[in-house]
Amino acid sequence: MEGRASASAVFELRNVAYTVPVREGPRHILRGVDFALGAGEILAIVGPSGTGKTSLIRIIAGLVAQTSGEVLFRGRPVAGPPEGVAVVFQDYANALLQWRTVAGNIALGIERRLDRAACARQIERCLALVGLERHASDYPWQLSGGMQQRVQIARALALEPAVLLMDEPFASLDAMTKASLQDEMLRLRGETGASFVFITHDIEEAIYLGDRVAVLRGRPGTLAETHEVGLGALRDQVATRAAPAFLQLRQRLHGAIGVHA
Amino acid sequence: MTGRQWASGIGGLLVCLALWQVLVGSGFVEYDLLPSPWTIAGGLATMVTEPAFAVEVGHTLAATLIGWLAAVLAGTGLGAVLGTSPLARRYCLASIEVLRPLPAVAFVPVALLLFGFSLQMELLVIVAPALWPALVNTMEGFAGVPQRLTDVAATFHLKRSTRLLRVYLPAAAPAVVVGMRLSLSLALVMAVVAEMVGNPEGLGYALVREQQALHPDLMFGYVLVIGLLGMLLNGLLVWGSRLALPGLFRRPVARWDSA
Repeated sequence: MEGRASASAVFELRNVAYTVPVREGPRHILRGVDFALGAGEILAIVGPSGTGKTSLIRIIAGLVAQTSGEVLFRGRPVAGPPEGVAVVFQDYANALLQWRTVAGNIALGIERRLDRAACARQIERCLALVGLERHASDYPWQLSGGMQQRVQIARALALEPAVLLMDEPFASLDAMTKASLQDEMLRLRGETGASFVFITHDIEEAIYLGDRVAVLRGRPGTLAETHEVGLGALRDQVATRAAPAFLQLRQRLHGAIGVHA
Repeated sequence: MTGRQWASGIGGLLVCLALWQVLVGSGFVEYDLLPSPWTIAGGLATMVTEPAFAVEVGHTLAATLIGWLAAVLAGTGLGAVLGTSPLARRYCLASIEVLRPLPAVAFVPVALLLFGFSLQMELLVIVAPALWPALVNTMEGFAGVPQRLTDVAATFHLKRSTRLLRVYLPAAAPAVVVGMRLSLSLALVMAVVAEMVGNPEGLGYALVREQQALHPDLMFGYVLVIGLLGMLLNGLLVWGSRLALPGLFRRPVARWDSA
């Protein structure tokens, strides 16, 4: 982690802890979380359930305040959702406005900022990015899960964010859809130059997508170790997943998380 | 309901009416003042041609709608505030829980004493009970907006008014509409009650008048008209809400009778 100078970091977390009060007393969700996200980087955070993954995303996104420690976006403390950061949630059915069409959902973040023509162009561009050109006037409930998740991604991209925070975005999708959305995400990174924090419980997904993979484990959750992936920018569902570097890292991560490969 | 459900439902109704007709017409059941459906239909036919009939329907309809609108405006407004503000809920919920279970008809003597035999009395009797379904359902609709949607509204930097009108209100809309429907049927019931005992106008008064004049056919006719008015108002409201929120109410729901 020291390899990346914090000056170039988009996001930086320093010794972040998160505690929520419950009836039985304080419940510690996260403790001692440190990381820096470089510009244009995909940082994958992998961890089993119950280690505070969603809490971590909501802290980074400024949706909830950490109990202690620092969260910096471009060197400034985060207080509320920062401008230029978009979030893609796992539960697309709740995150999409079910009463708005696909185009209407994508318009949500831009309709008050851009004039009508610019807004329409942006919607069209984002629909094309996720391959939903023919579904602009459909309602979310008329689409499959994978397509709904694409709508959520397009809606986030419409903001032209510098950072995309993704909370298990592909977790509830079937393997085929998951693979194609993973490749789409890598392509979008190439096209937009955005940085990503990608949270998942899937070790292989973390390696396949990440430039670095951080392991979140324990209760309270803490970032145990970070690994450079070193697979290069071009990835392929078959070849990459069979590469020795991929398999090695997979084994190490399984060990780190405490699951045997 | 599908066309087939309507057809079967109306078939069932016709069987009941035929049974009634046969039992009363044959003299098997004997009540002096229980007319047969056929007699009631005749009474209804003469009733609707009276010029007074339109005035009676108009009065009840106007009182119901005015009372309902007032109840819905106040109820959804207060409900939205209570639903979005936990602080407001904490201070108001106890009062609501005390006031809400008061039986609606208990307001009748109160309103009579306050306003005498008047339209104000009728409106108070309508608004006071019809407020609660609108308020409580709206409150629960707003309080139940998924955290994910509030997250989305926050990360998209929507203004407070935009959040409220474009995200939370549509998300709460199904519950709000349920509240509006419950309020509407209650408003009609209370209008009729108020007219029966307080304000001597409209369908409720006509019902009592025909009862006391020993015109059972006309009395049953008015009962029928009140029922049809309720159906019509509810149907219009459902139709209107589907029109206003196409994405919400066109969502296909798994039907228990789809087989």
